[in-house]
Amino acid sequence: MSISPQNRSDPGRGNRGEAPARRGRRRGAARRGAARQRLTGARESAAWIERGIPHFDLLNAEALELIEHNAETVLEEIGVEFREFPRALTLWKEAGAGVDGERVRFPRGLCRSLVQATAPKEFRQHARNPGRGTIIGGDRTVLVPAYGPPFVHDLDKGRRYATLEDFRNFVKLACMSPGLHHSGGTVCEPVDVPVNKRHFDMIYSHVKYSDKPFMGSVTHPERAGDSVAMAKILFGDDFVANNTVLINLINVNSPLTFDATMLGAATVYAENHQATIISPFLLAGAMSPVTIAGTLTQILAEALAGMAYVQLVRPGAPVVFGSFAAAVSMQSGAPTFGTPEPSLILYGAAQLARRLGVPFRSGGGLCAAKIPDAQAAYEAANTLQTSALAGVNFMLHTAGWLEGGLAMGYEKFVMDADQANMLAGLLGGVDLSENAQALDALREVGPGAHFLGAAHTLANFESAFCRSGVADNNSYEQWRQDGSLDAARRANVIWKQMLRDYEAPPLDPAIDEALLEFMQRRKSEFEDRDY
Amino acid sequence: MTDQDANPEDEEIILAELDDGELVEQMHEDLYDGLKEEIVEGTSILLARKWSADKVLNEALVEGMRIVGIDFRDGILFVPEVLLAANAMKGGMELLRPLLSETGVKPIGKMVIGTVKGDIHDIGKNLVGMMLEGAGFEVFDIGINNSVEDYFEAMEKHQPDILGMSALLTTTMPYMKVVIDEMVKQGIRQDYIVLVGGAPLNEEFGRAVGADAYCRDAAQAADVAPAMVRARQAGG
Ligand code: B1M
Repeated sequence: MSISPQNRSDPGRGNRGEAPARRGRRRGAARRGAARQRLTGARESAAWIERGIPHFDLLNAEALELIEHNAETVLEEIGVEFREFPRALTLWKEAGAGVDGERVRFPRGLCRSLVQATAPKEFRQHARNPGRGTIIGGDRTVLVPAYGPPFVHDLDKGRRYATLEDFRNFVKLACMSPGLHHSGGTVCEPVDVPVNKRHFDMIYSHVKYSDKPFMGSVTHPERAGDSVAMAKILFGDDFVANNTVLINLINVNSPLTFDATMLGAATVYAENHQATIISPFLLAGAMSPVTIAGTLTQILAEALAGMAYVQLVRPGAPVVFGSFAAAVSMQSGAPTFGTPEPSLILYGAAQLARRLGVPFRSGGGLCAAKIPDAQAAYEAANTLQTSALAGVNFMLHTAGWLEGGLAMGYEKFVMDADQANMLAGLLGGVDLSENAQALDALREVGPGAHFLGAAHTLANFESAFCRSGVADNNSYEQWRQDGSLDAARRANVIWKQMLRDYEAPPLDPAIDEALLEFMQRRKSEFEDRDY
Repeated sequence: MTDQDANPEDEEIILAELDDGELVEQMHEDLYDGLKEEIVEGTSILLARKWSADKVLNEALVEGMRIVGIDFRDGILFVPEVLLAANAMKGGMELLRPLLSETGVKPIGKMVIGTVKGDIHDIGKNLVGMMLEGAGFEVFDIGINNSVEDYFEAMEKHQPDILGMSALLTTTMPYMKVVIDEMVKQGIRQDYIVLVGGAPLNEEFGRAVGADAYCRDAAQAADVAPAMVRARQAGG
């Protein structure tokens, strides 16, 4: 599962590269080295997955029009609150919306036309390693680690509050995972650093320990400003002014409410031409109606209002239509995952985003399990598959998620990252080249023989099948001999090995110093505060 | 057995025609079914029959909600049903509350609850409030994003037994300590029971900020809160 971070990829290079042509005999050691690397599953990181299969279109046009109509009714009749953020109200008034206190009501079609007029269909998010810059939208899928957990979990030490060291570890693991295209944002919350200063260390860790694209802080407009300032040190002022280098998670305080924290952060990012993911975050039953159609209506209304607001702040600022939908347990109020209804919602929301013409964020390896057990695996697999088939462009929470997002699991991360590789295989679709048609192989082998030694097989076997680095497919006896390890225990071995193998991608020492200097200066400008 | 007895569901029940024992049992059923009007009616009938307010409270309402609580904990009753039951209970309590204070009976308890500053998560807090209302508490929910001043103002105004604080973010949960420290500073910490909760907290964190207890969920809060108020009342 390890990969040396020096291995760079061409942007967009999918995982189904051309079959390597066999070049006669290779010298012993080199051949052996290459084979061993294959054993550890080492592969280059792609910068995204290029979709080669159709979307799973759940709803027909009539159904989608109905939901779009209802969403406009919600926007027109009920409206959306923009709380404690007068600037939003001013902008909405100017745009022709009705403003009553903090409630904004939108003439039918206003939000949709604002979004469609200026929001990009897709956009590039740059990384400090140009080969790892990604494109969000269109037929691409970008897989991103989980976001937000205050706890971490591993088999050795159990569950505990996350620290900055854990944060760095997950950035390193994501950097080394070929199936993950992004470093993420709050991969876990470094609770050992004061609340009002931890964003500095989080951004710095993403820059220092990874060369994949990453996310900015949203917990305070000032912290969003610091994120932009640090990005400027890394990429240069001019570059940041004209390019997207940060993508940022703006949750709607559903139902139908945006709060000042999120609006403040969204505004800072929009002004700086950085991307925001406007995410209705619905626990259906608590924050939205219990039905799929009702929830989809609310998702669309909220996403439209948020994305349109961003376009008012800065026309053309990249926005992503987000959706995080789970159901609550009606027995306790607790969020549940991997169940059919959120999958249906996800399929529908992806269609609504495509019709609108903006990138879509959803999904991930979601589960409510506390440990990397069977529940964790099947709940996550359900959502990962759904997200892939639905056509998610930015798949936050792909790896590590446990306990409804309360814990980031080391073993779970490795298991999910392994599945991320599989998703690339699935989405790659069916190769119909002459080589893939394999008539030669069929001719060569003919009836009654086998393909294992066929020239076609020899030429293609290395890249023919996705191979799991976690699964055990050996005989029972072999498995016993290897210690009778279950998947979680095998993953435990893998993440430790990955951290041992990790090598930091080189960072210009002048930039490193400038970042450290900036952090030190900013941190000394105000007292530590724990809220 | 008559035909009617065989089919009690179809029977129109006239509460006033039931004897005390039957009525109390019926009120337990009605609480379970979340029938507010019936609970209000049952409460007034018992009062008219010269039951003391605290007898009505304990035997009819609290006992009924105890059953609701057990079935909620065991996953038999669902949140919307408990919400209805708690609402029905509240209806009865509104009649009883003035009588209870007249007769000097110690109420089950009052609680101020709110989510801390910077935090807007409130689903869990709302559930806790609901469960405590169901347990007979008078609950003052001061909403989300509460500063020290907001909490102090609410405590001053409502004089609760319990201050409940909720936080769902690691970036906001330390604020609980800010509130508790200020209570200590102003010499009022001992006047209140402080309960804290929220998914990113744990037992240890509850202790570290100086709360009296950490509650892992709403059902547990509804067990802990009355017990702590009782213990405090007994202890003087
Ligand atoms: C006596 O006093 C008491 C006693 C017991 C008490 C009590 C008080 N309070 C609670 N209890 C206890 O009893 C309750 C009932 O049994 C229980 O309450 P709970 O609240 O735990 O349980 C509820 C019944 C159901 N649970 C919930 O309602 C919370 C679920 C999760 C998924 C969650 C939700 C729903 C939301 N969120 Co937020 N959210 C998450 C949560 C992850 C999780 N699994 O917990 C968490 C907490 N959120 C997080 C984040 C990051 C954020 N959220 C945000 C926003 C939101 C929504 C608005 C979308 C929504 C809240 C809507 C609402 N009206 O409450 C943002 C912050 C907004 C803000 N300023 O506060 C934002 C910053 C995201 C963003 N980038 O926009 C993460 C925390 C990060 C951290 N490091 O601390 C998070 C763990 C999810 C994640 N992985 O990202 C017990 O804890």
